[in-house]
Amino acid sequence: MTVDQLINWLPFGTDWPVITFLTAVIICALPVFLFIAVYALVAIYGEVKISSFMADKVGPMGQGVGFHAGKWGLLQPVADALKLILKEDIIPAAADKKLFIMAPFVVFIGAFISFAALPFGQNTIIADMNIGIFYILAVGSLSVIGIILAGWSSNNKWSLYGGMRSVAQIVSYEIPAGLSIISIIMLTGTLSMQGINEFQQGTIWGILPNWIIFNNPFSFIAFFIFFISGVAECNRTPFDIPEAESELVAGAFTEYSGMRYAFFFLSEYAEMFVVSGVSVTAFLGGWNSPISGFFNSPGWGVFWFMGKTLSLVFVMIWFRWTFPRLRVDQLMSICWKVFLPFSLLNIFGVGIWILITG
Amino acid sequence: MSKYFSNIFEAVSTLLTGMGITWRHMMNIRKDNVTLQYPEERWPRPERDIGFDIDDYNVIRSRLQVDIDDCIGCMKCERACPVQCIKIVTTKSGAKGEDLPDINHTGVTSNGTKKALIVSRYDIDMTECCYCNLCTYPCPEECIYMTGGPNSHKHPIDYEFSQYDRNDLIYKFAKDVDEEKLSKYFPRKEETKA
Amino acid sequence: MGVVHGDLMTLNIGPQHPSTHGVLRLKVKTDGEIISEVEPIIGYLHRCFEKHCENVSYEQVIPYTDRCDYIAAMNNNFGYAVTVEELMEIKVPERVEYIRVIVAELNRIASHLLALGAYGLDVGAFTPFLYMFRDRERILDLFETLCGARLLYNYIWVGGVSHDLPPGFIDAVYSFLDYFEPKIEEYNELLTYNKIFIERTGDVGVMPPEVAVSYGVTGPNLRGSGVKWDIRKNEPYSIYDKFDFDIPVGAGKMGTVGDCWDRYYVRMVEMKESVKITRQALKGIPTGDVHQALPKKIRPPQGSIYKRTESPRGDLAYYIVSDGSPIPYRLKMRSPAFTALSVLGEISQGWMMSDVLVILGSLDIVLGEIDR
Repeated sequence: MTVDQLINWLPFGTDWPVITFLTAVIICALPVFLFIAVYALVAIYGEVKISSFMADKVGPMGQGVGFHAGKWGLLQPVADALKLILKEDIIPAAADKKLFIMAPFVVFIGAFISFAALPFGQNTIIADMNIGIFYILAVGSLSVIGIILAGWSSNNKWSLYGGMRSVAQIVSYEIPAGLSIISIIMLTGTLSMQGINEFQQGTIWGILPNWIIFNNPFSFIAFFIFFISGVAECNRTPFDIPEAESELVAGAFTEYSGMRYAFFFLSEYAEMFVVSGVSVTAFLGGWNSPISGFFNSPGWGVFWFMGKTLSLVFVMIWFRWTFPRLRVDQLMSICWKVFLPFSLLNIFGVGIWILITG
Repeated sequence: MSKYFSNIFEAVSTLLTGMGITWRHMMNIRKDNVTLQYPEERWPRPERDIGFDIDDYNVIRSRLQVDIDDCIGCMKCERACPVQCIKIVTTKSGAKGEDLPDINHTGVTSNGTKKALIVSRYDIDMTECCYCNLCTYPCPEECIYMTGGPNSHKHPIDYEFSQYDRNDLIYKFAKDVDEEKLSKYFPRKEETKA
Repeated sequence: MGVVHGDLMTLNIGPQHPSTHGVLRLKVKTDGEIISEVEPIIGYLHRCFEKHCENVSYEQVIPYTDRCDYIAAMNNNFGYAVTVEELMEIKVPERVEYIRVIVAELNRIASHLLALGAYGLDVGAFTPFLYMFRDRERILDLFETLCGARLLYNYIWVGGVSHDLPPGFIDAVYSFLDYFEPKIEEYNELLTYNKIFIERTGDVGVMPPEVAVSYGVTGPNLRGSGVKWDIRKNEPYSIYDKFDFDIPVGAGKMGTVGDCWDRYYVRMVEMKESVKITRQALKGIPTGDVHQALPKKIRPPQGSIYKRTESPRGDLAYYIVSDGSPIPYRLKMRSPAFTALSVLGEISQGWMMSDVLVILGSLDIVLGEIDR
């Protein structure tokens, strides 16, 4: 179901195009917002539990008499969310009030509107734009504006540090991410997300699924470059220098509390999903089943997409609880000295590959 | 150039090793788990398997408890305390070793010592206590001790040991003695009052 | 294009900050991310330790020494007890010496575990911190069965120890050591040889041996700079001359000699050495009465003494002046963490904002001991 289909189907038709368009957008946006909220709760629960398991502890457990946190602590994220909603919302006296209020929403919008082009299944996509992947890369970097707004408007030295670092980091990592996507576009010949998915149907030599990651050695490397750059764009460890709790207290988010902080949190998790979703679509076959020809119905498509995406989200969580944090200059040198040459090489390699294989 | 590639290789391999370790821990969580679900499970427990039961404890540091019937008011504990959190006031009993029922005073300790002093105040401020255990060693009647552990037969452990009011942590062990009744046994004080 | 001259920004790290290991304030002058000046400001935890000691008797000082370096209280008790014993010329029983060495080395392991775990946290790795705390907890459990307390023990007394070992303690220590030794390898794999960790700590905050010596830095920080100096070997006290152990020194394996990684790694190896010493002590422990040499009344003769011991943080020394009364006339404590902190301004110049906290973490300071 795309927005275009919805517009045609709506009864007002072409008489009031603006109203029709807005209705269609709201009908699509509401479920997406609900999805993000529910997914964030699940992801927070997952993060709490996975991190605990990795550290030889069990995390929140509702045990014994009384209403603790539900069975196995399942209600813990709900409790966290309630706490954040009920908390006092403090705006520092010295802060730039308008920007301070705006920042969390700008960050969230960046993550939120990326969902419009994510192909959850064969028919489950909000807008199958012909520039889908380009659109996601473009709006994904909106969040950096929000973070620097947050860092600047808090009027706090730590926040300023966090904001400055984050700008340098996210803008730099856009480049290797974009370049590795270019190698995909060269292969598929399309910018549309569904087009990329359709390219990956079938098998290679009848065994491997025809996913781009298996297509050639260059795209194999491109996947890792894209995914790790994506981790950096989400500000997750080992690239969480804008937040860096042991250095910058909480970086750009130091002065935030309550619901505004929750929005930063929500958008971090949403962004993780978007990055994983794009990696899955571009490299891991999207909604295509790993066993070609089986379980390929639209319903299964949603399952495969969600399954692959959530496993990549898990990998991000796994990174976070294993690695130390990089320093700012090391972060930059990895980006410019390792990822950039390799992704340029990839483009070259893929070009030759296309020439050879035709 | 070779350093550049070996650096990348080293980074990838060491990071993968690290990820392997956390993965192993995540998979073996049932075996490795060290969390104690506090309100239901309480340390010490044999399940923690360091080979110790509560009876094996040499000594325990927890709340101080005084069996005031055994206290002879020698003030050794007060002097031993490095932070002066024990406050004792005694008055001389006219009758050594006799029970004085009207002020709830026992004359003889459980060890058979005849008491010459009436302890009218025995306060321990547990907010100041530094749990050094120094007060318990000099006590000749072994009436001041820390609860739980090897002393559980005297007093079970006060596990939470928490109060809503800070003043509730000042433990008053002396019998609630009426000043008027007490003055009977201390005639000189009465004279000065008059 | 000329060089842009901006003003320096003054930034207060602490007193409330996740990485200052207590209540320390660092006044930092920064040029963007680059640090040009670090000035540690201490005194937030000052409790008049030395003045207190002039008002309480010798045995009552011991609980106060616990609270100086609260991470390694056994070693503090040990140093104080050894000092007073030398002043009073008390010969303690053999068993007491062995027990003291066992608990001191176990406490050294516990202290290093905390230092290394918290260091991982400074660098951003959370999980190693929890692993190390898990193992430290087992040592604290052992101490709890031994003397009832988990952190502030008041265990080593002048002329003896407060309690004999409980039954089964030796087996429990053996089983802990067996459990613990493979864990060191795991920490190494997880954190020490992690490339990101090496990038963050190798070559960072280099403290050349001359600087370390001239600032009076001791302990693992000094050994990290490649100077082979350990009071346990160079000036043996108690029965450390009976044991066979090495002194690990920094070798610049992942960068320059004396960088943060070396200081970190020296502690890691020292834990292995402590395990070695503990095993030897457990094997050789004789029977006997631990209260035999306890003096009835601690009343040292007139005179003064300066005695140093090796605490996990370095050269811990007590200077005691006695006027013949049961109360020390003057007691001075030489804190190893204090000198370690003094070198911070020197070695963190020109590094980045994140590095200052990494260098501070590598010095392994305890504010309770610095402020006293």
